[in-house]
Amino acid sequence: MARPSNHFQSSVGSKVVMALSGLGLVIYVIFHMLGNLQVFEGAHALNGYAAFLRDMPILLWTARIGLLNLAALHIILAIRLTLRNHRARPVAYTVREYRQASFASRTMAASGLVLLLFLIFHLLHLTAGVIDPSSVDRLDTEGHRDVYGKVVHAFQNPFIVALYLAGQLGLGLHLNHAVTSSLQTLGLEHAAFNRLFKAAGPAIALVVVLGNVAIILAIFLGIVRG
Amino acid sequence: MKFTLNIWRQKGSDERGRFVTYEAHDVSSGMSFLEMLDGVNQRLIVKGEEPVAFEQDCREGICGSCSLVINGIPHGPDRGITTCQLYMRRFPDGAVITIEPWRARAFPIIKDLVVDRRALDRIMQAGGYVSVPTGGAVDGNVLLISKDQAETAMDAASCIGCGACVAACKNASAMLFVAAKVSHLALLPQGKPERTSRVKAMLEAMDREGFGSCGNQNECEAVCPKRISVCFIATLNREYLRAGVVEPGLPAEPESPHAESV
Repeated sequence: MARPSNHFQSSVGSKVVMALSGLGLVIYVIFHMLGNLQVFEGAHALNGYAAFLRDMPILLWTARIGLLNLAALHIILAIRLTLRNHRARPVAYTVREYRQASFASRTMAASGLVLLLFLIFHLLHLTAGVIDPSSVDRLDTEGHRDVYGKVVHAFQNPFIVALYLAGQLGLGLHLNHAVTSSLQTLGLEHAAFNRLFKAAGPAIALVVVLGNVAIILAIFLGIVRG
Repeated sequence: MKFTLNIWRQKGSDERGRFVTYEAHDVSSGMSFLEMLDGVNQRLIVKGEEPVAFEQDCREGICGSCSLVINGIPHGPDRGITTCQLYMRRFPDGAVITIEPWRARAFPIIKDLVVDRRALDRIMQAGGYVSVPTGGAVDGNVLLISKDQAETAMDAASCIGCGACVAACKNASAMLFVAAKVSHLALLPQGKPERTSRVKAMLEAMDREGFGSCGNQNECEAVCPKRISVCFIATLNREYLRAGVVEPGLPAEPESPHAESV
């Protein structure tokens, strides 16, 4: 008797798990961007939001561990499928022309790798404070941790800004194909909704990247100050 | 018209292949691509050289035999046709044309431009059929099928199994082929009783044959001579998910009536 878990060992099964874990991460990225937009409301709002999250340590750590597991699952399956796909064509074409495969869809592994490297840097930089320890654990006037000051300090540095913008480029490219592709993998297809599904990837990618880039550039250009 | 052809030559499946350049002279613009190759081969035979091996049969776009990657696109620059339906007037006079075989691990090269596509037959043997008991012909209109359903099933059934989808796919995946076959049968009442075991068996066979996985790049749809839509890939994914929910314990490989021919 075959077990249900075998169903997800196949190539389509693996892709379904990749799509679900990817969509989970996409939902997080959207809320991450929305939460961070509070930087435009000033230090009080952003630091209050950060304190609000830290007031619920069990929820916070459940979310963190959950996200790490999702990312790990997504990456392991991506590596497995990519290796398999490389084996499927041992001799490459000498002349190759694509008709409608988008640039984003052909560079998913590359944009995913850029995203992973950026993610590691981002966690070490703003979450763990390893890369720039100068402004970690400073408190604001209300006794909250000064996340606002940390972010403003970080994005005044042009190197950090360049790295984050590169990360956003990877994120935008990846999401552009990822969301639409995930919906197709989950079998969502209907004549009335196909245009909506097709537009979902580019639209979500655009909104998330614009929101994030707005924060980075607003601080770098001095529109938002410490 | 005159053309310069870079053609992939390979003596056998274990030999190393390479490109050889040939000149095609006196080509009329009304010649099909395969007729142009016939002319090249005629000259090679007269010179005592080995002609270029390529697969062909009906030469009217329905058998699925012809299989050439022309300037990097399976079945050449026009959409919705097979190589045999491509005419030389489509190319500018004096053009350089590169001709390669389908390239995939599941399609080993037999000779020159001819590849072994029996992997697709083995996927069909795994579940691409309906088990119909023999007996008298069924009365007309016993099974009612709506017009829309019949048309959609026919869209999927128009697959001629040429393998261009595999050739065009970055991952050499056979998803569009399997999707067309699974959708065609799952949409019709005759195919419904076996839909759960069919989708599992055919996808398992696809993985076993060494095809890649789908990247949803839709390149297959763009080269398909029958313009089969990637919507059927969504249908296939849905059928597979359904199979996992409805009967997760069902053995994927049923007693195959074609087992002796494998």
